Amino acid sequence: MREDLMDIICCPLDKHELDLEVIRRDDDEIMEGRLVCTECGEEYPVEDGIPNLLPPDMREESPA
Amino acid sequence: MGVLENKSRARLFYKYLSKVYDQINPFIWNEEMRTAAIDLLDIERDDRVLDIGCGTGFATEGLLDRVDTVYGLDQSPHQLEKAYEKFGKRDGPVNFHLGDAERLPFRENSFDVVWSSGSIEYWPNPVDALEECRRVAKPGGQVLIVGPNYPNSSVFQRLADAIMLFYDEREADRMFREAGFVDFEHHTMGPDYNPEIAITTVATVPE
Repeated sequence: MREDLMDIICCPLDKHELDLEVIRRDDDEIMEGRLVCTECGEEYPVEDGIPNLLPPDMREESPA
Repeated sequence: MGVLENKSRARLFYKYLSKVYDQINPFIWNEEMRTAAIDLLDIERDDRVLDIGCGTGFATEGLLDRVDTVYGLDQSPHQLEKAYEKFGKRDGPVNFHLGDAERLPFRENSFDVVWSSGSIEYWPNPVDALEECRRVAKPGGQVLIVGPNYPNSSVFQRLADAIMLFYDEREADRMFREAGFVDFEHHTMGPDYNPEIAITTVATVPE
C-alpha cells in the first residue's frame, strides 16, 4: 500500500483514524507494517503490500 | 438464513469457488451486462471508485476502461489472488484491501462511486452494508449494486431461499430506503435466455 491511502482508510470497527507503523518499505510502497486504531488499539497488518482491514473475527486464522 | 450467509462458510465456499469462478461466472453476469451497468454511472477518469467484493476482478476490469484507478475490497484472500494475477498486486491500477462489506475500513465521503456486483447475495445484513456504502460515498455520488433478481420459477425460488439472498424490486426498495437512500432506480438485466436474472440498483447519495 502507498502512504496516501492513510487519507481514506479508518478502523472498520469504530471508524477512528489509524496510525501506520512501517516495518518494511520498498520505495513508495509499504510492504510490511501495522495499522493501529488510535481509539480502540486494534491492529491491522499490512502483509506483502496489502492492508488486511478485516475485522479480527473474520481473519483467516480466526476460528470464526 | 441461507447456507452462505455465514461468513466462515462463505469463506470456505469461495476458497474452492475461486478456482473456477471466472469460467462459470459469464453464465449469470457477462460482459454485456457489465457494460450496461457501468453505462448507468456518471463517471470521470479521475474519480475515486470503490469495488466492494471485487473478487477475481471481473467488474474491476470493466471499471478500469472508464477510470484510472479502482479501490478493490474483498473478504477472501483466495479470490483476490486471481485478481492480483490480472492487474498486478501492488504496482497496477488497483489498490487492493482485505475487508468486510458490512464494516468498511474507509472514512466517510471518500468515494465518487461505490460499486458492488455479485456480492450482496452473500451479505448477512445487506442493509448494514448499504448504509456503509452510503457513508463512504460522497454526497451526490453514486452507489451501484448488482444482485440476483428473485427467480419466477418455484423450483429456483426454493433453491434461491436455501442458498443465499435473492430480492425483487420491492425488496430492493425496502433495503435502500432503510439504508437511508431516497433517490434510486432499479434495472433488470440478463442474457437473452434469461433477461431479468440480475437486478441493478443505482442510488444517488443524499446531500
